[in-house]
Amino acid sequence: MNHIFNFPDLGEGLEEGTILEWYVKEGDKVKVGDPLVQMETDKVVADIPSPKNGVIVALHGKPGDVIQVGAPLAEIEVEGSGHVSTVAKEDPRIAATEATVEPIAEGEDAAAVVGTMEVAGNDGLLAASNEGAPSAKETGEPQRKALATPVARALAKEMGIDINRVPGSGPSGRVKREDILQFGSGFVTQPTPTGTTENHAPEDVTYLPLTQIRKTIARNMLHAKHNAAHMSVFEEVEISALKAVIARYKPIYADKGVKLTYLPFIVKAVAQALKHHPQLNSQIDAENNRMIVRNRRHIAIAVDAPDGLVVPVIRDADRISIFEIATQIGTLAEKARNRKLTLEEMKEGSFSITSFGSIGGIFATPVINYPQAGILGIGRIMKTPIVKEDEIVVGNIMPLSLTVDHRIVDGGETTRFLARVMGYLSDPLSLMMDES
Amino acid sequence: MSVMTIVKAINNALDIKLKEDENIVIYGEDVGVEGGVFRVTEGLQKKYGAERVFDSPLAESGIVGTALGMAVSGLRPVVELQFEGFTFPAFNQILSNVARIQNRSRGKYKAPMVIRFPYGGGVNALEHHSDSPEALFAHIPGLKVVIPSTPHDAKGMMITALESNDPIIFMEPKRIYRAIKQEVPDEKYTLPLDKARVVQEGSDITLVAFGAMIRECQKAIVMAEEAGISVELIDLRSIYPIDREAIRTSVRKTGRMIVVAEAHESFSVGSELIAIANEEAFLSLEAPPRRVGGFDTIVPLAQGEPYYIISPDRIFYEIEKTIHF
Amino acid sequence: MTQEDLPAIFSDFNPLEDKMLQIIDKEGKMIRKDLMPKLDDATIIDAYHQMLYERTADEMAVSYQRQGRMYTFTPNLGQEAIHIAAGMNIRHEDWLVPAFREMGTLLSKGVTMKEMFLFYLGNEWGGSFQQAHHTLPIAISIGTQLQHATGIGYSVKYRKKDETVFTFIGDGGTSEGDFSEALNFAGVWQVPVIFTVQNNQYAISVPVQKQTNSINLAVKSVAFGIPGIKVDGNDFFAMYLAYKTAAEHARSGRGPVLIEALTYRLGAHTTSDDPSKYRKKEEEQLWGKSDPLIRLKRYMQDAGIWSIDEEQLREQYKAEIDREFTAAENEKSYPLEDVFRHMYSEMPDELKRQKSEYEKFLSWKERRG
Repeated sequence: MNHIFNFPDLGEGLEEGTILEWYVKEGDKVKVGDPLVQMETDKVVADIPSPKNGVIVALHGKPGDVIQVGAPLAEIEVEGSGHVSTVAKEDPRIAATEATVEPIAEGEDAAAVVGTMEVAGNDGLLAASNEGAPSAKETGEPQRKALATPVARALAKEMGIDINRVPGSGPSGRVKREDILQFGSGFVTQPTPTGTTENHAPEDVTYLPLTQIRKTIARNMLHAKHNAAHMSVFEEVEISALKAVIARYKPIYADKGVKLTYLPFIVKAVAQALKHHPQLNSQIDAENNRMIVRNRRHIAIAVDAPDGLVVPVIRDADRISIFEIATQIGTLAEKARNRKLTLEEMKEGSFSITSFGSIGGIFATPVINYPQAGILGIGRIMKTPIVKEDEIVVGNIMPLSLTVDHRIVDGGETTRFLARVMGYLSDPLSLMMDES
Repeated sequence: MSVMTIVKAINNALDIKLKEDENIVIYGEDVGVEGGVFRVTEGLQKKYGAERVFDSPLAESGIVGTALGMAVSGLRPVVELQFEGFTFPAFNQILSNVARIQNRSRGKYKAPMVIRFPYGGGVNALEHHSDSPEALFAHIPGLKVVIPSTPHDAKGMMITALESNDPIIFMEPKRIYRAIKQEVPDEKYTLPLDKARVVQEGSDITLVAFGAMIRECQKAIVMAEEAGISVELIDLRSIYPIDREAIRTSVRKTGRMIVVAEAHESFSVGSELIAIANEEAFLSLEAPPRRVGGFDTIVPLAQGEPYYIISPDRIFYEIEKTIHF
Repeated sequence: MTQEDLPAIFSDFNPLEDKMLQIIDKEGKMIRKDLMPKLDDATIIDAYHQMLYERTADEMAVSYQRQGRMYTFTPNLGQEAIHIAAGMNIRHEDWLVPAFREMGTLLSKGVTMKEMFLFYLGNEWGGSFQQAHHTLPIAISIGTQLQHATGIGYSVKYRKKDETVFTFIGDGGTSEGDFSEALNFAGVWQVPVIFTVQNNQYAISVPVQKQTNSINLAVKSVAFGIPGIKVDGNDFFAMYLAYKTAAEHARSGRGPVLIEALTYRLGAHTTSDDPSKYRKKEEEQLWGKSDPLIRLKRYMQDAGIWSIDEEQLREQYKAEIDREFTAAENEKSYPLEDVFRHMYSEMPDELKRQKSEYEKFLSWKERRG
């Protein structure tokens, strides 16, 4: 069996050498260590010794030839099989490169390099780096991933639930064990008060499954009641002037396909008032010890959808026209009824309005749309006797029920805000003429 | 651009800075006339003279101690310790003085110096020539510890190190001193010493490694990708301080982390990274973060070394285990 | 370096023959008029003043510690002649790389007693010697400082500066490897460094006879090819001459010098040490009789230049030193920032993070009340 002896790197990262003189010829017998050839490199002139015992069968080059490191130098017919290889065992799993690994034979410059070193060939270069100065890395859009403790993740896995689908009620939207349990089994985890666990005769009750929307509303209402300090203030505002404006513009808007009601004005009035009373447009962030004041006024309006209550948002209500607000109300309400509202259309509300008067009810104690600071309820508008310049006249009264989170805002500011809203509603022109 | 190995890249960096800054001096055992046993300082004495690049007596504590004296009095010494196994005679000077002079003198004196040495195994060497002591140095307050894995990084990081006013432990992975060739800019450039590098992006699991292990990870990634696993590979580059931001961003994205480092597993850089993953990405973890390291044994000599040095197979094995947790 | 380069005193007082340079004897009598340095009376009086100041400050420091007003202190008692003689030969631009028992030399470099006290009250600002030019902090890691001195010597030569490096070590320290390495490097590099071994004969409790089998410590210089001389450390004039000669030698580019100053540690190793456990009172008393202040005073009296009202001067120094201590005591503020600020040139993110975490803890603590 022939051993092909390749020109080794003499331990200095060389790439090539020149043959100066052969010490052997074809047919010569050689022992391990016998000098075969004298090579000249950039750094040294060196004798290259034989790695094997055997007979020279071929020499690859003559004096003056340039040989690349790793290219064949000579071929030796190796004697017997008792020869112990001194070549370092290369891990066969390492991807083959053009590298040569040659042992340092005795007598060579062993002090220069310890052990065996891999030397890269000239093929297979590592790609050049374009990192010269620290540049901001472009991160791709991060996938939406649920935040959860390993315990919660284990639970979700156990229950066969994809945790990324579970809405989280914990800090920063963290998915908690309770959320997973609710999502999966549909049962409320806290002990129920009287009644529901009693045994009923089958014909006395009907069981209906809890829909997703009902569960969500239930959870949200409870969460709001538990966490916000609900306080309600009730007021009445005389809106004859506004009624006249609506009567006048209703047909004009209708021509443009937009339904004009009191609601757009209420939305605008609230948005404008929030500019003067930003406390009611804020949220508590207890975890970070701070109040988050919303700088934009996204007004959420409660819509009675077939399944239940949904609250789409009119964004930047203070910056858009009554026409635009009315248009959006129409669109959103339609979508809500058809269950076509998107997440985009429901997020980031900073204050809510719930108008129930058309159905019925004068005053109410609306529940805060957590984590907002306030919600304004609009009751049934009625013709009512009022006192005007010490005389009894017929007035158009719109009842207002304002609930606020008393953690965020106190009574004084609450009533000032309400007074301002009332001011805009009773005198629509003041809304247009407002200095803010 | 020129094709360079890590050896050439560091040599080039030293050359550029020696020319630019007359306060830089280089010394250590065999670095002058011979140019260093790995030839990292080759040609520099000839070019800059024996006052600037010279051979010192065989005394590591002396090499580092005198370098500190030079550093506090206007010079920027770069000293070579011949192998990681021989840094320990100098450990006292490093820990007690080099790392502390700035604190001890309340900033009156600083130690702008670089201590560089080859480290790491996989080269079939004698005892003390195959170790990875980065955790020992990283645990000393007052030092910066860096490890490049490519010629490009080696040059940029060395240049930055030579302009730093803090003492830098610059560890050079000897296994890949010449095993990687890369096109590197000929001109001067710097790279940050406190930022990791995302070698490739992925979404299923984060591999964190440095030095010679980067290449081994890349080989393992080929296997992982065939198995449909998307791996993000981070080259830590800076052992102290660690680029926490890089770990946070990546592990929050993938939810899984494996640290691949040659050193003994216990009390290692891997242990530190798991603490960081825990602190920064706990809520995003899909599987326990793992460290893959050497045993808590002495690195065996050549015949036993393959058990110890982490192979691509082993890395892939750990990736699979973590993915299927 | 040939014999011709070597100043006479090195060959006249060859440490291999265990010769010791001495100019005034234990009783203060001048025995080598030919070697007496040319110092005018005012300078000699000033030398005594400085030694007395160091002595007084030293005694008061021990007292403050005993009063529970200061932490562990390392007394300088009995070694003042070395410190002041060195101080008088150090120029502004020269470097001082101390061990930890050279208070008088530090004072001559511009370190204040307030700074010394602040350091021993546990504040790094004191030990950083901010005002003193080319003066390194004291070395707790024994012997390592000699390497720094040698490195500074190389730097000075490289940058072609006229600066000399004065460094110190104790008899115990000469056993450390760094001592040999530093002298060896200094010899190879021929740097302008003056190494002083303060042989006060005790390394805490270990007497110098157990420290080495060499006949003295100066002789160790021979191994490294640098000149060495053994000097009576309690003889101010001998120390002055040794330093003057060594400085001239170093400054003329002829390389480093090793001076062994033989003295006695009259005090304890530190204020936490009790010498009665390992040495006899008789020995202390014997050496106490020929302490450097007593010897210089007797010489001055014999020479007719003693005009000092020692009592009054002591009182004056005590008042000054007490003012310095009070100033240090009143400056005991240590903001959290100072724990982190000087680890690196710029605080890395990790330290900023650790600091801010700790501040959150402090707020929590404050809220609890």
